[in-house]
Amino acid sequence: MSRLPRPRNPRVQRLRRAVAVFFCLVFLASIWPVYPLFSRIQPLVLGLPFSLAYLVILLVAAFLVLLGLYLWEERNGELE
Amino acid sequence: MDRWLIVFLTTCSYLVLSLTIGLLSGRRASSASEGYVAGDRTLGFLVLYFIMGASIFSAFAFLGGPGWAYSRGAAAFYIISYGTVGLVPWYFIGPRVARLGRRHGYVTQAELFADRYDSRLISALLALISLAAFLPYLTLQMQGAGYVFSVVTEGRIPVWGGAAIAYGVVLVYVFRSGVMGVAWTNTFQGILMLTLAWVLGLYLPYRLYGGVGPMFEQLAERVPEMLTAPGLDGAGAPWSWGGYSSAIAISALGFSLWPHYFMKIYTARDIRTLKKTVVFYPTFQIFLVPILLIGFSGIAAFPGVEPADTILPTIVTQMDLPALAIGLFCAGALAASMSTGDALLHAAASILVKDFWRVLFAPGMEDRAQTRLIRVLVVVVGAVAYYFAVVSEFSLVYLLLLSYGAIAQLFPLTIAALYWKRSTRAGVLAGLTAGCLVTLVWNLFPGLQWQDIHPGIWGVAANVLVMVPVSRRTAPPSAEQVEKFV
Repeated sequence: MSRLPRPRNPRVQRLRRAVAVFFCLVFLASIWPVYPLFSRIQPLVLGLPFSLAYLVILLVAAFLVLLGLYLWEERNGELE
Repeated sequence: MDRWLIVFLTTCSYLVLSLTIGLLSGRRASSASEGYVAGDRTLGFLVLYFIMGASIFSAFAFLGGPGWAYSRGAAAFYIISYGTVGLVPWYFIGPRVARLGRRHGYVTQAELFADRYDSRLISALLALISLAAFLPYLTLQMQGAGYVFSVVTEGRIPVWGGAAIAYGVVLVYVFRSGVMGVAWTNTFQGILMLTLAWVLGLYLPYRLYGGVGPMFEQLAERVPEMLTAPGLDGAGAPWSWGGYSSAIAISALGFSLWPHYFMKIYTARDIRTLKKTVVFYPTFQIFLVPILLIGFSGIAAFPGVEPADTILPTIVTQMDLPALAIGLFCAGALAASMSTGDALLHAAASILVKDFWRVLFAPGMEDRAQTRLIRVLVVVVGAVAYYFAVVSEFSLVYLLLLSYGAIAQLFPLTIAALYWKRSTRAGVLAGLTAGCLVTLVWNLFPGLQWQDIHPGIWGVAANVLVMVPVSRRTAPPSAEQVEKFV
């Protein structure tokens, strides 16, 4: 039985690792002791308390970063 | 025509549509177990997107979610946070799992791990953990469906009747169409849920307070403690950061490994589809914002609603909404319950046959016979869950508390199986057992609690601390065996 395919481009591994680290940071940013620094009511952002808006910003950032990795992999033929 | 009758008929139209979609979709799949359980590995992006979104968000979305925001305020934010990171592991492990599945014919989660470590015990153990975690979850979905029916028909249809109607429909399409029925109904149900959440979540604050901003300005004066994390606990006292943070951690660890999601990896048409689903999942997840807005909108306008989970049905029935709108709400809430219930039911039956019965008692079982037995078990599991949902007084809430801790124990196992060559059968089995035991003991003896940290976290720690040394001290698996997986 042959091995599972490995990425052809060595930069892919590095980029994926960076994205994985980024997601660990997002996780840490959403719990104690980082989140308490941002968990306050004012200023309201689009009507939402800052504590909630902050989590929405994290969610959107997470989405954009993973989308970026996906598009990069697509352009470099790493999605097959 | 009576108002409640319009509501009832709208709801029935939804059920008929679900049933039709569910039955028609089964014609696309082969009758092999690969077709019934994994849809012949042909699902595309849009369907997989809605399967994941709709099965992740259960009856909790329209009952528990608003209920948490209503009674515990910012404590509910944790649901947004764990979903932000929860599915991301799929981006990395998903392609491997999908390739292995295609190569070796896996359709369930345990098949992969049992093969990796050449162990029937792992298969049976995972099947039991899955089932123990699924059953209370499934009964909650049935109760939720029955409850929605009962409230909007003003009690004319009792909870047991509502649950029977909704899950009768689910049973028929899962029995007939397998995962294809789950997939296409979830697409329809997912669209309904998303629409309903966004419309209600923006409309209610507007109608009751003149907008989202004015609503929070008002709440900031009346209940500032509910607008900042960690919010309140179940009793209305301030929640702890330890409880809040560890709830996120334990849910995020287990999130992508719940067996009924995990086995959807095998249904993907290709790697591109799988990755795209993970990438776009947050666009579904963000509908939790309007869901929570619904709960917040009740705080000042409808104080004192008990139990808190009924806040949304209460708002909907007490505001002067057209009957058609209430019917659509009812349909949306049922969709949330059924789109999770169907996936659980289908996965439970598949796992029982593939990972338990076949592995322990019938190794030579013919493929078609497996599909037949899975169908029978769909009915059996449905009946057992219904019994616990509406007949038995016995509460499964305790199992539900345990289930998140138990599912998180799969995380170290998954990482070891796919990335750690030196991990051994004895190591992962010992780790899994230690993890589950510690979780159980910490649940049984609340005195062991420290800083309110979730018992499952200690379980995961014990799991890793046992798995690593035991693996190192036992004979490594053959290089040939490892090469296939790592």
